[in-house]
Amino acid sequence: MKYLILVFFIFIFYSLGSALYYMMKDGDGSKRMVKALTMRVGISIALFIFLLFAFWMGWIKPTGVA
Amino acid sequence: MQSREEYYVPSGSYWPIVGSIGMFALLGGFAGSLHGSMAGTVGMILGFGIIIFMVFGWMGQVVHESETGDYNLQVDKSFRMGMAWFIFSEVMFFAAFFGALFYARQLSVPWLGGEGNNAFTNQFLWPEFKSVWPLIQMPDASNFSVPKGIIDAWHLPALNTITLLTSGATLTWAHWALMNKNRNQLIGGLIATIVLGVIFLGLQVSEYMEAYQHLDLKLTSGIYGSTFFMLTGFHGFHVTLGVLMLIVILMRCIRGHFNNERHFGFEAVAWYWHFVDVVWLGLFVVVYWL
Repeated sequence: MKYLILVFFIFIFYSLGSALYYMMKDGDGSKRMVKALTMRVGISIALFIFLLFAFWMGWIKPTGVA
Repeated sequence: MQSREEYYVPSGSYWPIVGSIGMFALLGGFAGSLHGSMAGTVGMILGFGIIIFMVFGWMGQVVHESETGDYNLQVDKSFRMGMAWFIFSEVMFFAAFFGALFYARQLSVPWLGGEGNNAFTNQFLWPEFKSVWPLIQMPDASNFSVPKGIIDAWHLPALNTITLLTSGATLTWAHWALMNKNRNQLIGGLIATIVLGVIFLGLQVSEYMEAYQHLDLKLTSGIYGSTFFMLTGFHGFHVTLGVLMLIVILMRCIRGHFNNERHFGFEAVAWYWHFVDVVWLGLFVVVYWL
């Protein structure tokens, strides 16, 4: 289940990275950057909801003393 | 190829030396304050004040040059390149601290506990030591502040995650407003983002007070305390800078500096805020929870 978190992060990095690319490459009138950032926010919120659910269901156990 | 006349050469500026003095006072004062020096603490606060002054002063000068039409396409490209290198240095900065956490957590602490081919290391050094992360039962605690516990991820840190994620959403809302020429939504979205950023910082301060006063979790609590405060503390500095930059962008939006065709300053600050948001998500998962 922890690997699923990694998958979420790969998508987050991809959308953040593509927003950076569009910021550098496109003219200011382009909407590609704001679309990529919207995607970034959406996936991040989805990840947090997943973490909350995984914690509630006991799918992911923290290591150590927590 | 562009002719020489097309490249704007700015006049001499004193802001770099002001920034250097501020950085020197901040870091020198911080080092002094770690040794219990009152002068160090004063120098640190003074340095922080000088840096804030420099940020607003320098940005103000650049904004003025931009608004008076000094900048052309070539300068615009320079700003974009500058932002790219700044982002690269930021990614490397956080990669180094996340790397330090990974090294301690996955490699060096388990080695002391005898993992890999290190059974004799464990036997010779601290045979009673069991490797557990977060490392609050140190093999030799005589020189460290031993924490009574750790910050529970699903209390204040979870609330902070919600705060920062919401701020990412309000900033994106403002970004769409800029693209769609909706001025009120743009200003409202930016104000909401700034307020959420300040709330985040306030919660972070109360978390640190809880850690220091009730849990004895300090910068001196061994490798766990060091990595915890280095990562979350530097992230907090980034949020502080992000809030300052958002305030500048808000002022510029109120004055009507940007439109849906020309707004690189807004884009650069927005991207920075999203980056800081993603770093926090990483911290929430690997520092606070797992």
